[in-house]
Amino acid sequence: MALQPAFLLHRRPYRETSALVDLLTFEHGLVRGVARGVARPGSRSRGALQPFTPLHVAWRGERELKTLTLIESTRAGVMLAGEGLLCALYANELLYRCLPREFAVEALFAHYGALLEVLPTPGLRAPGLRRLEITLLEALDAEPLFLSIDGDRPLEPQLRYGYDASARRFRPIADGHQGVDGRTLRLLAHGDWEAPGLAGAAKWLLREALAPLLGARPLRSRALLQSLVERRRAMPAD
Amino acid sequence: MSFSPLFERLVEAFRILPGVGPKSAQRMALHLLERDRAGGERIVAALGEALARIGYCQRCRNLTEHDLCALCEDPRRDERMLCVVESPADLLAIEEAGGYRGRYFVLHGHLSPLDGIGPEELGLERLEAEVAGHDYEEVVLATNPTVEGEASAHYISEQLRPYEVRCTRLAYGVPLGGELEYVDGGTLSRAFSGRLPFTS
Ligand SMILES: [Zn+2]
Repeated sequence: MALQPAFLLHRRPYRETSALVDLLTFEHGLVRGVARGVARPGSRSRGALQPFTPLHVAWRGERELKTLTLIESTRAGVMLAGEGLLCALYANELLYRCLPREFAVEALFAHYGALLEVLPTPGLRAPGLRRLEITLLEALDAEPLFLSIDGDRPLEPQLRYGYDASARRFRPIADGHQGVDGRTLRLLAHGDWEAPGLAGAAKWLLREALAPLLGARPLRSRALLQSLVERRRAMPAD
Repeated sequence: MSFSPLFERLVEAFRILPGVGPKSAQRMALHLLERDRAGGERIVAALGEALARIGYCQRCRNLTEHDLCALCEDPRRDERMLCVVESPADLLAIEEAGGYRGRYFVLHGHLSPLDGIGPEELGLERLEAEVAGHDYEEVVLATNPTVEGEASAHYISEQLRPYEVRCTRLAYGVPLGGELEYVDGGTLSRAFSGRLPFTS
């Protein structure tokens, strides 16, 4: 087969010197395979097969578990550290948990690659993550439809709304409940997921929309990021 | 060929060990049965006792059959330094290399969201209590230079922020006696960004 652009989402040890790998590929989506001998000291693929490094891979096998025949890194990945690294782990866990196997979404591959490039810059992290999340939701036909749940009416700018993820629509709510005003939602409806003024609302809404895809098991990487935010908040300002 | 189901079971059991394939497992089983039954008894006794009694040190989570491991009991260790490692094997490697005289903390893994391994599994609360309760000046985050090791180091350094302790990370470098053209790009670029003043 022709070489496929790919990113490693996760690897775990398999037998003695091999690894079971989950790859996000451009043309085939999420692919699981065995990389033989990569844990052997001196293996040429050992260093290449790292998360967040742009790869070219080839495999054989038609079944769910492929055998990787070639792994090459095309260039060094961006150097991720600190919070940017935790955000990248969040992106990996999100895609791994939500994407069905061998369901290709080329836009998702592109946004994932673009996200890795911007993660070293703190101010660009949130917009990059929102772009990945909405692309994922759109691919799975789970993105919010900006309509009121009663009769599919357009959202009223002056009303406040809560989100009903199973119906993918909005429900007017009384003051004091968690929700977002119709004016903000109308801006999000135009695709303004990355606008700085809408960051809080975008984060809230996409999280609500992703919840049914994740089920009862929370994302571990999100819990990590949150616990660090809470620790920072608890610290006396210096 | 199966002349004895018990023999087959023994061969299979040896194959649990790393580096042991079917041939070596068979050789080991034959050796113990044919040449060294007393040695076999010693293995059984040692293994049985080790499995029953070795647990984690209450202070540093190193392997020990006591409440505290020998390193934690040793009054000559430097009380101002703490080195955080992923595994007892890493601890042994650092001890064998020599030069480090401080204390340790063993995580028994690294943060790995997709494997469900978080701060709890790594005993990070215990680590925080260890730092809070002692006068450490420096915590060396000697987790592996992998994505997960890096994430663990970051998380721990954030966790230890409220305490007056300096967190350091092992330097990345070109292996001694190595040649630049054979060093992988990632290592080389990290070694480059972590270069030191040249003194001779
Ligand atoms: Zn100890």
